[in-house]
Formats: sequence, structure tokens, C-alpha cells
Amino acid sequence: MALLELHEVGKAYGGLPAVDGVSLGTGGGEILALVGPNGAGKSTLLKLVVGLERPNRGRVILDGHDITGRPPHLVRRMGVAMVQQTPRSFPTMTVRENVALGALFGRDTPPDTDEALEIADEALAFVGLDDRRHDTVGALNLHQLRFLELARAIAGSPRLLLLDEVMAGLNDAELETSIDIVRAIRDRHDITVVWVEHVMKAVMGLAERVVVLDFGRILAEGSPDQVMRDPAVVEAYLGKEDLGA
Amino acid sequence: MTASILDGIVLGLQFGVLAAGLTLVYGLGGVLNLAYGQIAVVSGLVTLLTMEAGVPAVPAALIGLVAGGALGLIFDLTILQPVYRRHGEARVLLSLLLTLGAAFVIDGYLNWRYPLRGLNLRITGDPLVVFGVRMRMGSVVASGITIVVIGVLYWLFRYTRLGRAIRSVIQDEEGSRLVGIDPQLMMRLILVLSGVLAAIVAITRSMVAPVNVRAGFSLTVLGLIVTVVGGLGSIPGAFLAGLVLGIINSVASSYIGTFLSLIILLVAAAITIVIRPTGLLGVRE
Ligand SMILES: Nc1ncnc2c1ncn2[C@@H]1O[C@H](COP(=O)(O)OP(=O)(O)OP(=O)(O)O)[C@@H](O)[C@H]1O
Ligand SMILES: [Mg+2]
Repeated sequence: MALLELHEVGKAYGGLPAVDGVSLGTGGGEILALVGPNGAGKSTLLKLVVGLERPNRGRVILDGHDITGRPPHLVRRMGVAMVQQTPRSFPTMTVRENVALGALFGRDTPPDTDEALEIADEALAFVGLDDRRHDTVGALNLHQLRFLELARAIAGSPRLLLLDEVMAGLNDAELETSIDIVRAIRDRHDITVVWVEHVMKAVMGLAERVVVLDFGRILAEGSPDQVMRDPAVVEAYLGKEDLGA
Repeated sequence: MTASILDGIVLGLQFGVLAAGLTLVYGLGGVLNLAYGQIAVVSGLVTLLTMEAGVPAVPAALIGLVAGGALGLIFDLTILQPVYRRHGEARVLLSLLLTLGAAFVIDGYLNWRYPLRGLNLRITGDPLVVFGVRMRMGSVVASGITIVVIGVLYWLFRYTRLGRAIRSVIQDEEGSRLVGIDPQLMMRLILVLSGVLAAIVAITRSMVAPVNVRAGFSLTVLGLIVTVVGGLGSIPGAFLAGLVLGIINSVASSYIGTFLSLIILLVAAAITIVIRPTGLLGVRE
């Protein structure tokens, strides 16, 4: 059985569909990239999965359980973590405290505070931020903030990790590190990753399967090479995006 | 001078607790509770009636605290439900209107049913000499309780799991949901806590001077002034502002006159807001 299954999921804002009947499944430690032009509905689709938005139609199934419209904190404790497009960290806490929150509240059986701090240190070492753990969040740059959120997400030991454009605006070296880290997270914890990305170079380097969204619908699906040669995909991107690669 | 500063500190600590209950609810959920003073008064009245039924003062006061918490919970479950469904400014405005309505209803009922009643917890004992000033036993006990309450609040927010959860909701509600925290539940708990704090203010205040059933609105206004000066949503700010305003109030009362003290507090508040629009320790949005 797939870990995550979407059945004809749809969400409209004021009558305009943002996600318009999407069905897809993933699991088994796959790295699935979700691409598409601006406004295609990628972020909305992730929000429907974690419960930040409630779908107008369709079903979201996690590991056989119908979680459609369930509130985010419950979905989180069922093993789904998300890193948003804009960083969502807690400004007056230290890096370590931020990450510890992921362990304290994200898990089904919560650890005590000391254990949570240990888990946080491990997660921070994993993303290479261990030397910044006593800094406040304000001292981090965008790239480090995203890594912080990645660490906070894995501190909650998710089975499914949803990432929304975590590589936007990174330079080449940072991009390489990010790709390695996401792959390492999958390899070590066998986490399934659904990952929204505009940076095609990263998609080609990391994704095992690509789903292309356009106007809230699935336009194409397949291996990165296959999809990028698809004439419909090229058409959808033409004049909207450079394919980057 | 030392005497009125010491009085001011006693008062200021209570101002701080009063404002903390308001500022927490606002910081967490964008809700301004204008019936806050009425919650305090009702808790005081419950304490009074329980004592009149023959229960000793300490258990009666505990029942008063429970009443305050229960009122907070009732607010959360009833009139605040439509408020939670609004966001941003609409939420603040609706909360102002609905809690103001509740305040009028409670005030009206109290004035009809219990006119001229007031809680007065006289604490006997020889005055204590602090920094060469004789302090009444009531003030000493009230301050002691208030300081313990402040310590417990500090411990709660700084070190407990619950405190971390609440701080994270105050800082970023959506972020807190994504780490697995339920903001709705936190809001409910905070309303209970806020009710208990209101009750503590009524009970400790009544050890220094009677708290009568008409005091609701003036307590709310006082709480709001302290909250605004401290910075909406900031707990340390509430306590700092409480101390500053408590001292100003008490010094002004003894040198100028009690009748002007609220005006002087308002002026102090206005000056603070002109100099620092976010209040003493408020965070810029
Ligand atoms: N809260 C909202 N209210 C109204 N419309 C919204 C809301 N959120 C998204 N939309 C609309 O839904 C559509 C899909 O938005 P979404 O953010 O999911 O796109 P996206 O694929 O993530 O785009 P981008 O690549 O720019 O991040 C857009 O037309 C957007 O304007
Ligand atoms: Mg997006």
C-alpha cells in the first residue's frame, strides 16, 4: 500500500480552482518532485495534505487512514512533516530550542525535554548546523533557516516529508549541500519525500519521479528525463519559466 | 517617599499579574477580553459568598480561583467561538464587542443581585518593617502571594512543555501547528489561566483594600493601560509596566491626590506610546 494517496483532491478559492482533481500516490522512500509554473497549485496541494487547508472534494489517505481535513497538529503526529515556502521559525528561541519543539510535539509518543534536546542536536548535526545551535534564529541567513526547518521536521521523526521550494535562491554550493542532505535524510530514515521545486537543476539531480502540475491538474508524470522531454510540459513552461538546466 | 515607593511596588506587582492575564490572551489569539475585570469581580464574590457559607478563607479563596478559571473556560467555549473564526483585525474587533457585551451583562446582574457587596479579606497581624517602613500584614501577604505567582508563571513559560508550546503559538501560530501543537487547545488553557490570574488579583487586592462588585470596568481599564505600556502580548513587558505604573500611581497619589492617579497613569501610558509605539517590551510586527 502506498504511504500517501490522493484521490481526486480539489480546492477552490472563491470559485477559482487552485487544485483541480489531483490523484497520485507515493511511498517507500521515494523522492517525488512536484513542479509546475507559478500558481499551478503546488503549495496548495501540500497544504491540503498537512491540513493547513481543507479540500473541497476528494480524499487524502495516509497509510490507509482517511485524514482528509484533519487539523495539522494531528497530521504531524501521524508522521507528516512540512517545510513551508517562507520560513516559519520561532524568533526569540535558540536554534536548538526551535528544533527541540519538533521532537517535543511532533512525535506520537513525546520524549522528555532532555531527550528532545538530544534529538535536536542530532538533527542539527545532520543538516550541518550544530555549531549554530545556541544562536537565536535571527542570526541565521535564509539558507540556514531552511536547514533549521529541515532539522525541526526530521526531529519529529516523520515518515513523509513535504518540502516547499526549500532550494530557491541558493547558490551552487549551497544547492549541492541541500541535495545531499535531502538524499541523506531519505537514505538514513527511509522517509518518503514530496518536494516542490522550481530549480530544475536540483530536480534533475535528486528526483526519482516528477509530477508536473498546471492549472491545478496533473499535466505529466514520469522520470525526470521523460517528463522534461514531454511536449506538453515544454509548452506549459514556454515563456513562463526557463527550464534552468 | 520610601513608603510610597514600597506601596507602589506592592501595587505594581498586582498590576503586572492583572495585565499578564490580558496580554497572554491577546498575544496568543488576538483576543482582547473586556470582561476581564468582571471575571475578577465574580471570583471575588464567589470567595465572599463561600466564606459567608461558613468555609474558611483559604479554601474559599481556592474556590474563587476555580470560579475564575471556569469563567475563562466558559468564555472560550461560548462567545469566543465566533471570534476564533475571524482573523486579524476582524477578530480583535469582534472580541472587543462580544466581551464588552458580556461585561455589561455580568455588571448588570451583579449590581441588581449583589449591590454594594465587596470582598474584604482582612489579614490581621502586626505590621512588618521593611526598609524602615511599616507595612501592613495584608500588603505583605498579598505581595508574597503575587511574587510566588510571578515565579510560577516564569517557571511555566520558561521550562515546561506547555510553556514552550504557548510561546511558540504566540510567536508563529502556523509554525506551531506544523510542529504538532494545537493552538485551539493552547487558547483554551490560556483563557483558564487568565481567569485564574484575574481571581488572584481580586483576592490579593482585597487584602489591601475592599474589592466591590462595581470594580469590573476599572480593573479592565487598568489592565489595558498596563498591557499597552508593556507592549501587547509581552509578559515581561506586563510586569515591567506594572511596576513602573504602580510606583508612579502610588507616588502621585500621596503627593498629588488619589483622584488624579488614573489620569496620571493615562498620561504616563500616552507618553510611553508616543516614544515607543510598541510599548516597553513589545515586539515589532
Ligand atoms: N489563500 C488563498 N486565497 C486565494 N487564492 C489562493 C490562496 N492560496 C493560493 N491561491 C491561488 O491558488 C493558485 C495556486 O496557488 P499555489 O500557491 O498553490 O501555487 P504554486 O504552484 O505554489 O505557485 P508558486 O510556484 O508561485 O509558489 C494561485 O492562483 C493562487 O493565487
Ligand atoms: Mg508555492
